[in-house]
Amino acid sequence: MTIISNTRSVCPKCLTQIDAQLVREGDDVYLRKSCPSHGDFSTIVWRGMSDEFDNWWKYKAPSGDAPNCPNDCGLCAKHLQKTCCALVEVTSRCNLRCPVCFADAGSGTSEPTVAELYETFKRLCRNGNTFVQLSGGEPTMRDNLPEIVSAARRAGCETVQLNSNGIRLGREPEFVRALADAGLSFVFMQFDGTCDEVHKTLRGQPLLSDKLAAIEVCSKLRLGVTLVPTLVPGVNMDDVGGILRFAVEHAPAVRGVHFQPISYFGRFPHPPRDEDRVTLPEVLRAIETQTDGKFKIANFVPSSCDHPRCGFHGDFVILPKGLLMKLTPKYNPDACCAADSHLKNRKFVARRWTRPKSNGQKEATDYHNMDNFLARVKSHGFTVSAMAFQDAYTLEIDRLRRCSLHVIDGEKTVPFCARYITQI
Amino acid sequence: MTALAQWKCARCDVPLELKKTEFEYMERSFSHAVPTCPKCGDVFIPPELAEGKMAEVEEQLEDK
Repeated sequence: MTIISNTRSVCPKCLTQIDAQLVREGDDVYLRKSCPSHGDFSTIVWRGMSDEFDNWWKYKAPSGDAPNCPNDCGLCAKHLQKTCCALVEVTSRCNLRCPVCFADAGSGTSEPTVAELYETFKRLCRNGNTFVQLSGGEPTMRDNLPEIVSAARRAGCETVQLNSNGIRLGREPEFVRALADAGLSFVFMQFDGTCDEVHKTLRGQPLLSDKLAAIEVCSKLRLGVTLVPTLVPGVNMDDVGGILRFAVEHAPAVRGVHFQPISYFGRFPHPPRDEDRVTLPEVLRAIETQTDGKFKIANFVPSSCDHPRCGFHGDFVILPKGLLMKLTPKYNPDACCAADSHLKNRKFVARRWTRPKSNGQKEATDYHNMDNFLARVKSHGFTVSAMAFQDAYTLEIDRLRRCSLHVIDGEKTVPFCARYITQI
Repeated sequence: MTALAQWKCARCDVPLELKKTEFEYMERSFSHAVPTCPKCGDVFIPPELAEGKMAEVEEQLEDK
């Protein structure tokens, strides 16, 4: 056992900030911590160290501490990253009752009015935050969601993303048309697997046909769809390759896959054990092995906008016959601290997840030609990414301070993992 | 557009000719017709190309 570094975390029971250590045991890394009141805790955070993951650990933590983090959260001078995407909860209602839900959705009925949301969007845009995610709960529970999208656009939002389970999108094409007409940019759709068993286990219902219908409806309206699987051990970790194949087959309507290893906040059935966790290197290995090397670990780089151990991405273009062209540039460890990394990420995400309108021209296939290359990148760009959210067990203050995904909570702006952190 | 006729190779003092050229840019290889010296093979990247298509390629390949 060797100590990699000292860090700060929280006690999962009282959320008090405490000392912690990243400890290497064999090929795995654990976060170990001790609370004077509630005892010792150890959680796996990284399974399988290998040379391929050197870049993920090059990050040098900034000096100084943030003693009030995350309990007094609201972005403060100690936070190290600006807002890339602002998440706005438009409802807490939901048409599912999932055993695991970060937002513990399904309870409460109070919702902000369209006028109130318009003021929120205006405030965001005044501060330069022009990329909003409409989230919940399930945002499509609101019949006036098109008005909300329209309000965001009128306020000046350049990109309006909808986070949805897709059920209503597949069943009500006219509702989707109204969203598209109002200026919706693209859909981030929960998609946990390629068979109904997975959906039944994680969401309580067979939902595959609903997901297919949603993709078809969005495709007709040229609304890009990015698939968002929550990865859970023993449920869908063996379907990572299947999900990628499904996504490629449904491109360019599907713009990519954004994997989210399960985190334990909001509602979950029991305190997580190590075997209940999936870590980023496991996701990367699953991507490579389950696609027979079509996607390779070497095609992916750590997040530059957030802390490098919070996520990764790889950029591709799907060529005719399902062949892949890799676009991901080499990783630059210095880029993660650049002052404009949140703006670069915002542009990147909007560009990759938006499906462009058709130019009606037949496409040529010589991609050494710049015009043909540019046309194909725009029409068939395909992005595979992942984000490892932190819960009360896995949270590192350093990582939290670099978060760029922020939830608008009344007048406050709160990093995602701090907003939803849940004590046991 | 930059008129091709106005450019000569500084070294060889001969007019440039439009020639399809392979070049590497942002770790990719492209083929594009650019003004080229028929004698020494040096190429000239016109501003329209640098600020137009090449900038667009750069934007598409720019990382987050």
